[in-house]
Amino acid sequence: MASSVLYHCPCLSTSPIPPPPHLPSSSHSFHPLHTLFFCEECDAVRCNRCVSVEVSGYYCPNCLFEVPSASVRAEKNRCARNCFMCPNCRNTLSVVPSDPPDAGDGRIVPISTVGEPPFFLYCSHCRWDSAEVGITFEKPTGLAAQLQKSEDSAPDSLEFERLKEHFEPLIRASSLSSSSSAVPSSAAHSHHLHSTSITAAASAALARDIPGVGKYNPLTRSGRGNKDRSANKDEMPDYKSRMDIITASKHGSGGGVTDIEFMSHLEKRSRCRYSRTAVGLQLGSIITEQPLRIPLHSKRSKRCPACTHILIKPEQKAQSVRYKIKLVAANYLPAITIALPHQVEKFGHASAEAAKRPYGKAAAPTEEEKEAMGGLVAGETYPFHLSLTNPLYDPIQVKLSVQRMHVAAPSSSDHSAAQEKARRPPFVVSLSTTPFSVAAFAEAWEYDDDDDILDDDELEARLSGREKEPKTKTKTVGVLEKRANVTIVGGEVMLRKEARGNVKFNMLVSYTYRSDDPSPEGNIGSPSKSKVPETKTFAFYTVVELGTIIPREESRIDIES
Amino acid sequence: MEAPIYYSKSEFIETDTGNKVSRRATIAGPQNIILGGKTIISSGAIIRGDLRQSRPGHAVVISLGRYCVVGEGCVMRPPYKTYRGTFNYYPMKIGDHVHVGAGSVVEAATIGNHVEIGKNCIIGKFVIIKDCAKIADNSIVPPNTVIPALSLFAGSPASFAEDLPESTQELVESQTKQFYQSFQPLDRDR
Ligand SMILES: [Zn+2]
Ligand SMILES: [Zn+2]
Ligand SMILES: [Zn+2]
Ligand SMILES: [Zn+2]
Repeated sequence: MASSVLYHCPCLSTSPIPPPPHLPSSSHSFHPLHTLFFCEECDAVRCNRCVSVEVSGYYCPNCLFEVPSASVRAEKNRCARNCFMCPNCRNTLSVVPSDPPDAGDGRIVPISTVGEPPFFLYCSHCRWDSAEVGITFEKPTGLAAQLQKSEDSAPDSLEFERLKEHFEPLIRASSLSSSSSAVPSSAAHSHHLHSTSITAAASAALARDIPGVGKYNPLTRSGRGNKDRSANKDEMPDYKSRMDIITASKHGSGGGVTDIEFMSHLEKRSRCRYSRTAVGLQLGSIITEQPLRIPLHSKRSKRCPACTHILIKPEQKAQSVRYKIKLVAANYLPAITIALPHQVEKFGHASAEAAKRPYGKAAAPTEEEKEAMGGLVAGETYPFHLSLTNPLYDPIQVKLSVQRMHVAAPSSSDHSAAQEKARRPPFVVSLSTTPFSVAAFAEAWEYDDDDDILDDDELEARLSGREKEPKTKTKTVGVLEKRANVTIVGGEVMLRKEARGNVKFNMLVSYTYRSDDPSPEGNIGSPSKSKVPETKTFAFYTVVELGTIIPREESRIDIES
Repeated sequence: MEAPIYYSKSEFIETDTGNKVSRRATIAGPQNIILGGKTIISSGAIIRGDLRQSRPGHAVVISLGRYCVVGEGCVMRPPYKTYRGTFNYYPMKIGDHVHVGAGSVVEAATIGNHVEIGKNCIIGKFVIIKDCAKIADNSIVPPNTVIPALSLFAGSPASFAEDLPESTQELVESQTKQFYQSFQPLDRDR
């Protein structure tokens, strides 16, 4: 595992303290900094798991046409222009003309600029073409409209329409009741209510008997009679499908292996991300192999789940990567990266060796090579460097503290040595808890290209063999370097001989910054107070991963112990 | 702290604008190729600036922006088609902060800014890649595919895998700048 620093979002638990790093829940609670948001109102980090999402616009991922929300539903969330997917491999299909007629002298004479009709859809990846299934077009434009008729008369689409008709009254009724009962202040909340009543109705309908389909009888329901269920106020008339399922399809009636094979076939085909809504279409496509209209993509706004303030608001234009509002955590929290000097030195050395070879490669070592070179061997002590970059226009004071690995209090009795040893964490991290400053961010500091990267001279000295003896012990713990808005602090990790697994620990980062907002209790009228800048402290958890421990060979341990 | 990536000083030619071009790369038709500055062409790469439109005069065949990397052994070749009975090559335009991984073959028409193409990919003819998109390693993007902004494409044929984070632009920009900074010459005499 490569080294990394991930940031905590406390949304998954009621406690602000993250789970210990060795628990599986740890990986769900920590995220890369660049994927996180920051709500100024709540003064809190938010992640993609907890923000509420709203669609702000739809577009076709192929022709990039921005589809007005009003027509999205009628067009079944798919592009209504010339965009189709291959029913076989999901590649985008292209419109191709028929071969031009032969002029007689062997020369091909193009008659029109667009080519010869009939046109058909062709897959440049798997070579499927729509002529195979009898679909051709008079004109190379407006294909969706030309296909509309056959799409609309397809059995799956008719069945879907029928289902929609069947559920419409219930959806209308439930949305009415939910809008009257929902708390109007929270949009997200009422949306939630609305969707759950629909899902509840749908699942109730799904649990009902369908003629020709084996009865689903969970134990909890088996004792109940029909009268009981009809008492449900959401109850509605039984749905009668257009076709009797037994006669309509050879699938579904045989059961057993046939069904399993059919389902795995379906699964292979449902790789597209709208697969759930597209099951009907896909069922149709398996039978008829029709070109599939391309599902639309959406641009989304994101809101804070607690205060509903907007955190992300994209620009309207579909392909713009700019945002009207973009409150990302990277603009508030210091960016922390981790490096292990012994690895950096080895990678640099390997790269230099490669550059010296006459036909070598001058490239960064691959991840596998890095892993092999920069391993952490049990029983050794390694220094590490944490580099903190301040995104704020004011300097910050930072304090780092490593979360204790095993917080369980030792039992008062029964202090056998073996137990004590077992309880000991596999490694010990030393990191100074003394606060240090990180200078303010300034545009001028951005990427001074002539800046040398770290330890270049030292590295070259080692490469040239000038430095044979081990270096005199230099400071490894504490602040090592400050430049621009970056401060590098050193730490050390001591691995126990019996240590196994990953070197991973939780670290609390708290930083104090100058706040522009006067504190609520501060006297605004008092001039003596306004001279002292207000400061605020923000704290967040990170998980620091240094890598995987390489066990020592048993023999060596035996000799040493 | 990033490990420097050393290259042999004698292997690379550095231009006034900071482009670094390997002597082991094949640059065909250099007069038709534009490099925006601080762009690295790695060893073994092949750039076909010679495949140009048949009409006379000077023409830009392949243009790359700033802070781009064309990985080792990559092939960059302009797309071609027969239109109205005439065979022609069409120019390839690549934006700033675009990295193309080692061993990939690119015949795209346009690639936006802040785009990352993985190793051993095949980017088919006339593919359009919008800003901040990413192509996973070993993907095959069939001809004429459009890859929307901020999306990750993967597989064969490459298809949409997921949306990329809102900070992708800043992230890719700092990564490509950092890569250029760590790409350092190693003097063999020392
Ligand atoms: Zn969250
Ligand atoms: Zn479209
Ligand atoms: Zn196909
Ligand atoms: Zn909030």
